Amino acid sequence: MAQADMLWRGLRGVALTLVVVFFLFPIFWIVLMSFETNETVLQVPPTLTPHLTLQNYVALLSGKLNTATGIINITFLHNLWNSVLLSTCSVLVALILGVPAAYAFARFRFRGGEDIAFTLLSFRFAPPLLVLLPLTLYFQDIGLSNTYVGLIWIYQLICLPLILWIVRGYFEDASPDIEYAYRVDGHSWWKAFTKIAIPLAGPGIAAAALLSFIFAWNNFVFALVLASADKQPVTVGALAFVTASGIQYGIIAAAIVLSILPTLALALYAQRWLVEGLSLGAVKG
Amino acid sequence: MSEIPVTPPPLPRRPILPRALPYLLSLPALLVCIGILIPFVTAVWYSLERYNLSMPYMRSFIWFRNYISLFTDPDFWNTIQVSLIYTISTVVLELLLGLGIALLLRERSRLNNIISIALLMPLMTAPAIAALMWKLMTNPGFGVLSWLISLVGVTDFKWASSPHTAMFTVVLVDIWVYTPFMMILLLAGLRSLPQQPFEAAKLDGVNAGFVFLRITLPMLTPFLFTAVLFRTLDSIQQFDIIYAMTQGGPGNSLLVFQVRAYLEFFSYTNVGRSAAILMVLWAITYVLSQVFVRQWMKLRERAHGAS
Amino acid sequence: MYEKAKDLCEAFQARGIGRRDLMRRLAALGITAGIADMLVNATATRALAADFDWKAYKGTSLKLLLNKHPYADSMIADLEAFKTLTGMDVTYDIFPEDVYFDKVTAALSSHSTEYDAFMTGAYQTWQYGPAGWLVDMNEFLQDKSKVAPNYDWEDILPNLRASDSWSGKPGDALGGPGAKQWALPWGFEVYMLTYNKPVFDKLKLTPPKNMQELMTTAATITQSGGNGMYGVGLRGSRSWATIHPGFLSGYANFGGRDFTVADGKLKSAVNSKESKEFTAQFVQMVQDSGPKNWATYTWYEVGADLGAGTSGMIYDADSLGYFTATGDTKMKGQLGFAPIAPNPEMSHPTSNVWIWSLAMSNFSKRKDATWLFMQWATGTDHLLFGAREHDMIDPVRSSIWKDSEFQAHMEQKVPGFLETYQVTSPDAKIYFTPQPLFFNVTTDWAAALQRMVAKQIPVSEGLDALAAATDRQMSDAGLG
Repeated sequence: MAQADMLWRGLRGVALTLVVVFFLFPIFWIVLMSFETNETVLQVPPTLTPHLTLQNYVALLSGKLNTATGIINITFLHNLWNSVLLSTCSVLVALILGVPAAYAFARFRFRGGEDIAFTLLSFRFAPPLLVLLPLTLYFQDIGLSNTYVGLIWIYQLICLPLILWIVRGYFEDASPDIEYAYRVDGHSWWKAFTKIAIPLAGPGIAAAALLSFIFAWNNFVFALVLASADKQPVTVGALAFVTASGIQYGIIAAAIVLSILPTLALALYAQRWLVEGLSLGAVKG
Repeated sequence: MSEIPVTPPPLPRRPILPRALPYLLSLPALLVCIGILIPFVTAVWYSLERYNLSMPYMRSFIWFRNYISLFTDPDFWNTIQVSLIYTISTVVLELLLGLGIALLLRERSRLNNIISIALLMPLMTAPAIAALMWKLMTNPGFGVLSWLISLVGVTDFKWASSPHTAMFTVVLVDIWVYTPFMMILLLAGLRSLPQQPFEAAKLDGVNAGFVFLRITLPMLTPFLFTAVLFRTLDSIQQFDIIYAMTQGGPGNSLLVFQVRAYLEFFSYTNVGRSAAILMVLWAITYVLSQVFVRQWMKLRERAHGAS
Repeated sequence: MYEKAKDLCEAFQARGIGRRDLMRRLAALGITAGIADMLVNATATRALAADFDWKAYKGTSLKLLLNKHPYADSMIADLEAFKTLTGMDVTYDIFPEDVYFDKVTAALSSHSTEYDAFMTGAYQTWQYGPAGWLVDMNEFLQDKSKVAPNYDWEDILPNLRASDSWSGKPGDALGGPGAKQWALPWGFEVYMLTYNKPVFDKLKLTPPKNMQELMTTAATITQSGGNGMYGVGLRGSRSWATIHPGFLSGYANFGGRDFTVADGKLKSAVNSKESKEFTAQFVQMVQDSGPKNWATYTWYEVGADLGAGTSGMIYDADSLGYFTATGDTKMKGQLGFAPIAPNPEMSHPTSNVWIWSLAMSNFSKRKDATWLFMQWATGTDHLLFGAREHDMIDPVRSSIWKDSEFQAHMEQKVPGFLETYQVTSPDAKIYFTPQPLFFNVTTDWAAALQRMVAKQIPVSEGLDALAAATDRQMSDAGLG
């Protein structure tokens, strides 16, 4: 029995090690590569004691890249800034739009309410190109082409359903009695909503906001189709960057590291809430 | 007749407000949503037109001829086939792997928690960026994976650049990104299961395999079902990984729905055909999402009712 | 001394001396580079402005959409001269080629007013022109009041002028009757061999003259080149760009056509006898001695391998060979150039051409001002500057090919290049049939080649299937 137990634990250890290696090694390798010179990167077999350097990051942050065809000005930092701006604003807008609506769906049974809620959720699952491609044909006519506003609007496709459905669950879980009691005391509806309901749903709102930030940041296709050159976030920028930089693999790796760093940091910070968010609140973490 | 004293309900104080209130609250979200529905409606219209941007003089309403032409085109059947292979292989493999890892991490211990958090990292990586990472790792010149498999004597493996192995490569990337999603969902499910049946089984000395098949699996089924539906809906629409990795090539080996629609639109300026392809995809996802939402409501009621 | 400097500048303007020469002589007069530049600009402005109002749109700002390319770099380097000349401002967005054309399509299809002019190839104008997205440049070219007296339109090589003009009727010849000038030629490229001299010396090889020799030479290099070197670098990505360089040049040499045109209807000719003969050899060559990852190769990779000494030769653009031979690469200065006529029965090459052109967006709000820019950018002064000082190595103007400073510059940088160009250029033109489904057809073509190279389908069968698929597409679109 003890021996079988030992064997079982050994096997479990091996399995877990393999899992961890498979899922974490790529990130480790890219991070390592981002600190290597192009010469070290190209060495086969990979050297175990590479000469580490910060030059890739310096090149990225200074925006000057030395390549075979001369110095290229790169706008990677600007891409990074666009990502920050687009993701943050999209989440803020989605909160302003989504939290009151979520409250309405949770607290009131009203005609058409469920239909609206379902339509909004179904956006999460519709093919994005179905909306994006027709939109390219008249984005200009409605004055949204080449604007952050246009992109933030269309990013609501990602953020709004998440906020709506996660936050709704939290409102439903909180008993309405406290709000009623507060209102009986003579406070307005608005005060009850802001002083009682929102604080009670606070953790859910935070979770939904963090998660939609991550998804907005990671989005690729919206920006690929609709963003003009100076509005591109880092996901599209990194792809364009690969060909522009020719064979500067160390710098590509550094760009990759910089573009995934924010979401990784956020995820580690907010891991407790991720589970509920990921399942749209269907599974309690 | 005796009057029953009725306490006047404290709410509503201003009766006009509550009836309009839910509409007022959801109106802004609704407006944004209607704005987004307009392109959808135009897409339906485009799909019924012969509409190539480079031949505006040929534009005309042709009813369902775009659809007929799609379904009589072997290339489109190839797209359906490729999309299905991609979806089924990613979902099945991620389910098996995710379930396995969730079972390994089931006990609440410090180490297990650290591992499960660490495993979230691929999921937080943008899929397009993940594809770039794997593109570097599989580079035939210096890619670490190419080097590793050359150590075991495989020197002619071409990863994403051969039609024979391209599917394998992108499925691998998808697995890397999304298995943690399955894992985390199933782990939460596993940990939320009531403990009594397992304790009873332990007391009776029932073997582990039996416990898994007869207790764990049935109780976990709603979670499995939700996770599978969720991933199927995402996977059948995959664009980022494939586009960033190969843009649909080599050959026609990775031309899934959305990649094909993208190329039809941007490279061939064929709006009508592109819209028709997307409508077919939409029909599939619509049916699936209906099932998903129903399933998800059930699960949510359970989760929130229990808490 | 000042007078002397001015005389020098006038001489430069009159093409008496080259810019480099001028700078040297000015320096000898004790004039610093900064002042020299100012002088040159000032005289240039005066010379150009003598009989034409370049300042008509002073204060206007233009925006360009550019592809990341050495030609674009060369233009950017000279933009100050344009700004000085016209008092206008020019900004630009620049994208790598992978996404460039999608960006152009996105901007034009959305009727964006953001960009006034953009870089394009001739093939793209077959889509953009009939779609109503481009301005017919004849509107300007034929209005004498709008053309600067020294803008010599006839000086631009006739094949190139014709290649950018088309009636919009599928199958009509380029530059034929009723053709509209959709774009202005600006820089171009022809297809030839660029080879690694050290490995040719080591293996005692001579540049191949036809397809058979090319195949055996490539195979020899793959077998004995050493260090994992392979024979011949070719593009292979799933894109039109795979078809149009070496592949189509060889294909045309064997007498292959993409379509036959009868009564305005197009019928695919990719499964003709000539086509099958050439395609089989091409596929064989990729399998035997092409790059391992051929199916992902764009010109970036083809060039990178040649430059790194990983490939023995390339059958691709002369400009790609040039940039690899002169850029910061391992093989710098060690590459040779050679013409090739793949068909053993042909005495001369039939190179397809790619023409980087400038086109004007129909949605521009500043069309007259944009025309000034396009005139300047395709005019003799700027192009001569690009050819002498930068890397605009395939000038579209015949006068520049005859310019002795340009010739000397090229001979010194890439010996043998000019001779190869002379042999390749006479029959260089677009060998595709113009039609708006160009990208569908060529992408499918590339996909078919990929399947043949991967041995998923035999060549003959693959080409029959391709022809059937192409015909179906043409008839769906009402063209076949």
